[in-house]
Amino acid sequence: MYRNSAFCMMDKSMLNFCGFSRFMDECTLPKRIVISLKRKHAIGGEKWQLLPVCACRSWSLPATIKMKRKSDKAWYALFVLPLVFVFTTVVIIPFLIGIGYSFISWDGMPLNEKTFVGFENFMNLFSDKRFMESARHTLTFSLISVLLINVIGLAFALSVTGKLRVKNAARSMLFTPYLIGGLILGYIWKFIFTDVFQSIGNLTGLNHFFFSWLLHPKYALAAMIVVATWQMAGYIMIIYINGIQSLPEDVIEAAKVDGAGYWQALFHIKFPLLMPSFTICLFMTLSNCFKIFDINFSLTGGGPNNATEMMAMNIYNEIFSLNHFGYGQAKAIVFFISVAIITLMQVSFTKKREVEM
Amino acid sequence: MKLKVKKIRTLLVLALMLSMILTGCGSSGGQSRANNNSRNSSSETIPEATKKSNETDKDLKAAKKIVVFQSKVEITDQLEAMAKDYESETGVQAEVWGTTGDDYLQQLKIKLGNKQGPTVFSLAPGAESEELKAYLTDLSDLSFIEKITENMADEKDGKVVGIPYTMEGFGMVYNKSLVDASKVTDYNTFVEMLQEQKKAGINGFSLSQESYFLIGHILNTPFALQKDPKAYIDELVAGKVRMKDTPEFVEFAEFMEAIREYTRNPLEVNYDQETGDFATGKAASIHQGNWCYNMFKDYNPDFEMGIMPLPIAGNDKIAVSVPTCWYVNSQASPEEIQAGKDLLNWLYTSKTGEKYLMEEFGFIPVVTGMENPHLDPLSQSVSDYADSGEILSWPMNHWPAGIVDVYLVPATQKFFTTKMTGEEFLEALTDAFVQAGK
Repeated sequence: MYRNSAFCMMDKSMLNFCGFSRFMDECTLPKRIVISLKRKHAIGGEKWQLLPVCACRSWSLPATIKMKRKSDKAWYALFVLPLVFVFTTVVIIPFLIGIGYSFISWDGMPLNEKTFVGFENFMNLFSDKRFMESARHTLTFSLISVLLINVIGLAFALSVTGKLRVKNAARSMLFTPYLIGGLILGYIWKFIFTDVFQSIGNLTGLNHFFFSWLLHPKYALAAMIVVATWQMAGYIMIIYINGIQSLPEDVIEAAKVDGAGYWQALFHIKFPLLMPSFTICLFMTLSNCFKIFDINFSLTGGGPNNATEMMAMNIYNEIFSLNHFGYGQAKAIVFFISVAIITLMQVSFTKKREVEM
Repeated sequence: MKLKVKKIRTLLVLALMLSMILTGCGSSGGQSRANNNSRNSSSETIPEATKKSNETDKDLKAAKKIVVFQSKVEITDQLEAMAKDYESETGVQAEVWGTTGDDYLQQLKIKLGNKQGPTVFSLAPGAESEELKAYLTDLSDLSFIEKITENMADEKDGKVVGIPYTMEGFGMVYNKSLVDASKVTDYNTFVEMLQEQKKAGINGFSLSQESYFLIGHILNTPFALQKDPKAYIDELVAGKVRMKDTPEFVEFAEFMEAIREYTRNPLEVNYDQETGDFATGKAASIHQGNWCYNMFKDYNPDFEMGIMPLPIAGNDKIAVSVPTCWYVNSQASPEEIQAGKDLLNWLYTSKTGEKYLMEEFGFIPVVTGMENPHLDPLSQSVSDYADSGEILSWPMNHWPAGIVDVYLVPATQKFFTTKMTGEEFLEALTDAFVQAGK
């Protein structure tokens, strides 16, 4: 009946908070709490027990709950309203204005002419070879990086939640790349991929692998993937660590008792239970990779010969270098819609696979 | 009772937060509104003001404070010192906004667009100033306009709107102990020079990976060799001519092929390495301009250097023009506009102003009567070329906006990383012009 675990959790905490005791007469409790209590006890009662707290106190539950709800709402509003205000002014309103701009042809200066062109910007966009190419690069880049970031992030997370002695040091070291801004990271790696690689190649004679990666279209894309992975994997690791640490010990222990090995426990017990973390991590990496700009800008600048120009960079060039504000804005709208569709599809797909305890 | 207290406390906190938010926006909103008001009223009065400006210029009270925003990062410190001197001499405060250089134009456009633009700003004359034409004030009434060297001021519709900073020139910056300029006068001798240097283990000629140093400047030469470069650009953009049918461009492509064959790949070289290699004698010549002399200071090069023409189609001139001009924001209040004009007048006519232009900024004089005895050797040679009149123009300033970074660089990267022929390269460049000019 109550499959939503969050709801049960809320009931539990509320009960504890209000100082319930299991000795209390059931008929004073609202019906649904009784049911869920019963249900909980039926499944795995010993996991959480209601503490026997001082029994008799004069209160009336419905009134308390009502009061709590009201003040809760006020608190929610207190924390949410400033955010809503900021979000509206810096995201929603500019977004709506942007939709308007996508129907005009304009160079961005208020005193210069704006002409309404209707859907022309959108029509041109699909025959824009360079834009379509950049979409292809973005897709390739995102697919590979999302895979790599998650696999490596998860591997990191598993290794630093085990019995590793230096796990705290390892965690902070793996997380550090995320703290360096993408732009700076790009410049650092640019130096590595050109100067350092060339020097290594000259010294060791391994010129087939150690050459200036950024001059070769495919290797330049690979370089982007390496840097993006290096940056994001540590961050994703943190989310997985969180997920792994909140796995219920008893289930894993039960699996061990039943004779499951490490890999069996990993694939059949841990991963299904980690699904909520997968949802978050996949969503974050997908949307981040699609929208990647800073590394693109500083590492390759879209080169060589546009082989690594991602969609965000293409839009940036269209608007800020070529001064085609309206057309670039139309591209941005299409970009937004496609990213939204892809990430929503992913979220609904992984959500379905989440299991409830 | 307790509940009530709690409720009241919550309400108080809420009220406090809300009032903070509201006052926060209120004050900023108020400011911007006030700003808008002054701007609006000023923009309404501008036509009148400009009508009257000729007669009532002296009655107009100049503002006490103006903002200067300009792109030449190298002179930022000196400019701030100048602003201090200006304030002590005239009592007008000039605030200098900083920039990192690369995104100057975007910052400027955003500020102009938000009606928070500076009073005095800089632009490259040409496509840039054309785009922002509506924001430029007519400066024809400044006292020294007559003295500006011919063709150096930026004119729109017959009115001077831009005052030149300095002259800059580019060509082959060469090491006099390695290259004999009198022997490199055409394609064949250029290639011979490259081959000789390569044998000696020296890079004969070097470009570098940055957009203008890679293709922008070197492609300027065949354009400048056309009879009417501006008309040629228009025809090119309209698709009426193609580069492969123009002899100067065909030879340019041969030069590029030779550079690809006999020199180090420019995509592996950045500006620092290019100038460093030249200063240490590892490169015999680089395609650069007088601005790069500052880069050699740390090396103390022990050889003489000079600028020679890049001999495409027997060219014997170097490209000299004005990289940047001063402009006054036409959307500022009449008082500010007047103050901006006063500042420029002071800079180009007063003793202190001249000292800053010549000694501190190290500019090549563009106004008759000024002289700079402290020019570095490269600037001196640019100045000499300019005096002799043997100079090419900079049609690259009239190329479609953004074309170098967005279209020309990728095409050039392709040229230097594949085996595409010179003719294919010219076709790619032509397509770029057609595409960017849309």
